[in-house]
Amino acid sequence: MNLDKVISGFFFILAMTINFGFFYGDIDNPELHSVYELFMALVVSLISTILKIGDKTQLGAVLLATSLVADIQLIAAVTVWTVTEYLSIVDVEAFAAIISLSGGALLANITSVILYIGETLKSKR
Amino acid sequence: MNNNALWIILQKLRTPLLVIIVTYSVAMLGMVLIPGMDDKGNVYHLSFFDAFYFVSYMASTIGFGESPYAFTYEQKLWVSFCIYITVVGWFYGLGALVSAVTDKTLKFEVMRNRFRKNVQAIEDDFVIVLGYTHVNAEIIKKLHTANIEVVLIDDDEDKINFFMLEEMKHDVPVMVGNALLTETLHDAGILRSNCKGIIALFDNEEHNFRISILTKFLNPNVKVIAKSTNDEISKSILDTDIAKVINPFEVFAKRVDVALRSPHTLVLENWIYGNSDLSEKPLYLPAGKYLICGYGRFGKALQTKFNKYGIEHVFIDAKRLAHHTMIEDGSFIRANPDDKDILLDVGIKESAGLIVGTNNDIDNLSIVITAKKLNPDIYIIARENTMQEVSVFQAANIDWLFVIEQIYINKASMALANPLKHRFLKLILRQKENWTKSLINLLKNQVDVNPLLKRIDVKENTTYALYHELLKGEEIEIDVLLCSLENREKRNHALPLLLYRDGEEILLPININLQVGDKILFACTKESLEEIELIASNIYELHYAKYGKEKENPILRRFFSLAYKNKGIK
Repeated sequence: MNLDKVISGFFFILAMTINFGFFYGDIDNPELHSVYELFMALVVSLISTILKIGDKTQLGAVLLATSLVADIQLIAAVTVWTVTEYLSIVDVEAFAAIISLSGGALLANITSVILYIGETLKSKR
Repeated sequence: MNNNALWIILQKLRTPLLVIIVTYSVAMLGMVLIPGMDDKGNVYHLSFFDAFYFVSYMASTIGFGESPYAFTYEQKLWVSFCIYITVVGWFYGLGALVSAVTDKTLKFEVMRNRFRKNVQAIEDDFVIVLGYTHVNAEIIKKLHTANIEVVLIDDDEDKINFFMLEEMKHDVPVMVGNALLTETLHDAGILRSNCKGIIALFDNEEHNFRISILTKFLNPNVKVIAKSTNDEISKSILDTDIAKVINPFEVFAKRVDVALRSPHTLVLENWIYGNSDLSEKPLYLPAGKYLICGYGRFGKALQTKFNKYGIEHVFIDAKRLAHHTMIEDGSFIRANPDDKDILLDVGIKESAGLIVGTNNDIDNLSIVITAKKLNPDIYIIARENTMQEVSVFQAANIDWLFVIEQIYINKASMALANPLKHRFLKLILRQKENWTKSLINLLKNQVDVNPLLKRIDVKENTTYALYHELLKGEEIEIDVLLCSLENREKRNHALPLLLYRDGEEILLPININLQVGDKILFACTKESLEEIELIASNIYELHYAKYGKEKENPILRRFFSLAYKNKGIK
């Protein structure tokens, strides 16, 4: 067992699960989506991006790309949230944008986890 | 991979980035969770944005103060903890970034990328020069005058930096790298079709051998110029025909051979190298006994020549030993040649010539001075190892100075920049005394005392008219080019020396029909060169030179006939 693999696997899957936790719930109901979850989703997603750097194989490059996609979507979601809150725009449309952005990030995270599982299964060790 | 540099930075920054992300998020989360109090005494929580804003300026030690309201003691407690973890994390990250940017591997990658790009951008023919030395610097200058680009590799960064300060005619891509590695040679563009040669003049001759072999396998079309004074290595290079070997001792021994056999050839050779003109007196080595100081590679190379012509000679060397038969018959003496008594013992007063060939310039000079005192009439041949002492050697009034570095420079630059001249030189070195003597007289009478040596290629962009006439199937003799344009019956001051056609060398070509792709070496005056070029590239001049009458202008004729036709239609 390789501690590095445990840690990176942990963060890849945690990024997906937290992201799902935030995304799950009615898209137009702010009460069902915790801001803390969004924050943690972004932090974990950033950490898993860093962990993916340094693998120069083809698969490593795709994994890094999915992670970058998730980061960008989550950062966009956070920015939208901050802007709407400080400009006091309480708007269903803006909130729906936040949730759907995190939904996009979720898809990227799912892709990344699937690739990661595929690589693990392929590995002979 | 072009983005190696980026990967190196990213990989070095992995841990610092992780540290920054974790410390920031812990600090932000704490700031959001810990309740604060606003100016009216109400409990409030910082939003994530407030927390991010505060932590950002706290971690970078900018410190705008407590915002949006003054902190409570609970908050201050947490902040004082956060200051330590975030500031440390931030500085760690910055430090890692700076060290990654100044990293040696990174710098090397950046330099290598730039070098590769520059090499790829070269469109003309180029030559790879390995190592920046005094000799190579001269070779680079000569190649530049012949409009050949140069790529330079040296494993010493200081030398490369020094080279960058030099003023060069063309831009030279440079790289710090180990020339013995295939990868470095790849970067230098050895696989490219316009890479014409590689110069390996390392003192360590095994390096030269290795580079010759590598080049042969990588790109057999690249000409290798390698230095080799060691017989075994030279032989294995020559046997496999992988490189052109420069052995300065052999070169000089050959010249002595030529001087003994046909002194006029040396006059020609000096003229070809541009050292002097044809009016120079041929050099006749005086007959008699020769003293040779130094029995190393140089002495041994001379020995074979002296034995060949049966010239009496004595070697003097303090360090090396010769075969016992040589000691017995008195042709070798183990002693210090710089000693006055030794020179007298050997018989310097009766000797005709003295050859000073040790590998120490100061020793050589000192022997020359001693010998001159003992026998002012003696003919002196001296070896000069480096060109730095050139003025001192000139002042010493030596009859025949043999500069090793000059040989490298001449040979290497001639072989790469003027292959046709090089072929011609090789051919005339084999000729007999009478032949070269009459060639010199011919050149002096027909051309000039110091004719130019010019090469003309029969191809479209250099000799337009000639090329197109030949393509049409016209037969044009080389003599057509030699007509004077003022009067066709007269000849201009030029002499074709060599015609090179698909591996065939024709010395002094006369009455030969030209073909497309021929390369011709002319000895000519400046004015005749202009005439030759005019005949070769202008269809009217070519027509006149060939038939003796003016050619009708086809464009004008077409214009007139067109005008006529248009009139007819109207």
